[in-house]
Amino acid sequence: MSDLFTPTADWQRLSPAYATVRRLGALVYNLVATGIVCLGTSFFLDWRWVVAAAVAGLSWTLWRVIRAGRWVRSFGYAERAEDLLITRGLWNKELTAIPYGRMLSVNVESGPIERAWGLAKVQLVTASIHSAGHIPGLSQADAAALRDRLIVAGEAQALPL
Amino acid sequence: MTEPVAPPPDRPDASPPAEVTERPHPLTPLIRGWVVLLAVIIAFGRDYLPIGREPQPLPPLQFLLGAVGVVAAASGIAGYFSWRFTRFVIDAEKLRIDSGVLFRRSQRVAFDKVQSIDVVQPLAARLFGLAELQIDVGSHERPKLRYLSRARAYALRDYLLARAKGVQAEADAASDSTSVLVDLGAQDEVLVRVPPQVLLLAAATSHEFWSIMATGVVAAVIGITFNQPWLVLVIAIPTASTLIGFVGRRVTSQFNYTLSRRAHGLRISRGLTSLTSQSLPPRRVQAVQISQSPVWRRLGLYRIDLEVIGWGHVTDNENKTGVSTILLPAGTIAQVRVALAALWPRADFESVELHQPPARARWLHPLAQPFLRWGHDDALVVSRHGWLVRRWQVVPHARIQSVRITQGMVSRTLGLAGLEFHTAGGQIMPHAPGLDAAHVLERQSELLRLVHHPAEVDVSDADPGQADAGPEALRADHAEDTISSSE
Repeated sequence: MSDLFTPTADWQRLSPAYATVRRLGALVYNLVATGIVCLGTSFFLDWRWVVAAAVAGLSWTLWRVIRAGRWVRSFGYAERAEDLLITRGLWNKELTAIPYGRMLSVNVESGPIERAWGLAKVQLVTASIHSAGHIPGLSQADAAALRDRLIVAGEAQALPL
Repeated sequence: MTEPVAPPPDRPDASPPAEVTERPHPLTPLIRGWVVLLAVIIAFGRDYLPIGREPQPLPPLQFLLGAVGVVAAASGIAGYFSWRFTRFVIDAEKLRIDSGVLFRRSQRVAFDKVQSIDVVQPLAARLFGLAELQIDVGSHERPKLRYLSRARAYALRDYLLARAKGVQAEADAASDSTSVLVDLGAQDEVLVRVPPQVLLLAAATSHEFWSIMATGVVAAVIGITFNQPWLVLVIAIPTASTLIGFVGRRVTSQFNYTLSRRAHGLRISRGLTSLTSQSLPPRRVQAVQISQSPVWRRLGLYRIDLEVIGWGHVTDNENKTGVSTILLPAGTIAQVRVALAALWPRADFESVELHQPPARARWLHPLAQPFLRWGHDDALVVSRHGWLVRRWQVVPHARIQSVRITQGMVSRTLGLAGLEFHTAGGQIMPHAPGLDAAHVLERQSELLRLVHHPAEVDVSDADPGQADAGPEALRADHAEDTISSSE
């Protein structure tokens, strides 16, 4: 398949387990947020508003849980000769190209839920805050290997800042 | 420059010259105490002025004058001690500032880390011929030296800038710019000068001015429709004072705006009450935005904002002191050309061939579509957009950090896509919206190729044949200079 956001390249996808992690994360975050909003409304408004807030919160949670699988499948990255491509998004699609020579550092991070599934996130840092080069949901071994490959490529192709 | 000789590895016989420490100017505590005194007088003195107010029971005047005296004396003593304990060393070897009475602090700055130097002269200091030196080393905190005599501040500024470029210079060489109104020497080449009447005209016709005015008018109309004419007066007074303040700030802060060039780089000097003189490092400029308010189209005026690493936010309203990211507050297209040519001598933003997006982009950008353009040559990316306020965004390929294609739902159905060019800093966000989705991938790879294979010489460096070559060339000279000066 080759379209605007997945041009011909050697695309790597995320670990399918990351969909579960994302669902769990969405569930925890959204339910806590919904709980806080419901508690807040119960102080100031009558029960109908509380129910409305709860319904809205729950349907948003359900939506995120259902979409998580598709979102994870839409995410991909490709290591080309001179740059890293990252594609993501369902409604608002993005294709970001980051030249290896512009990378300042590469970090591997993993939160508690990710660690339980043996996953990690690779974060590419450039001088721009908008580059947003993070690749979540890789197995920890893959993440470390990707980081090392990126660092080597960055050192070999360093561009003047 | 003499013939290059191999440098002696160490100079064991050459004893280090005695360190000469300096103090800020002895009037410093006075100037710093002045601000405190003024605040106290304004805070209390108001009560003694009988302006349409019930006479209040006031403490006797003698008592109050005594209190003011105590405050002034206390701040004077504190200022004296802080002056007494502040010393600095700027010589051929190092740049060090020691300060603090109870908590001592010693700052040392490597010469080649100095990015730019600003000389700021607030009104009180200016009356006594004093100036503050701010050293930009690329971090948030700027080492400051206040206050020095004006001539000394300019001389140190020139010396430090020369050292930052790798030229061994004499620290004691006096600067030739001694004027009170501007910071210009005989060697300076004036590139752009904006007279106050242009600033006044530009401020009164800018879109900011009209938006303040429009807010006032809308509020007044609401007042009249609800049959509350007194509201009009309540609204008119603050609106008028905001407008006057806005125009006044623009004119006084950019008064006598001058962009000049000398051997060690570009310099901006501006200000009526407080004179600021900042040096501009072209290599750290990431992106440029040229903008034009609606009325300015008739007048042929433009404004240029810069995105510079380490300068913080792009300033919208001109603050009086400190750094400002405005390259040109208001000027004609000829002045825009001169200013950008000074910044990037190797590029010409006007020669970039611009492409119009497809007509169907009108659905997404109904008002801006006729003006939308974008294009690039082998040095710059230029993107044009905006409807009321027109904006040109210019980024050199050498400063692009990453390139992104974006597409929302509406764009997808129309077969459109946008490009974003990410630069360090990220206040001005250069982007090109409404492009034909069929070709955007090719454009992206073309841009990436130019990012990967930059030109031999940076876009901000002048021709190598000229005396004012890039930092590398000067650094090469520096090696020889050091040797000859050590012998």
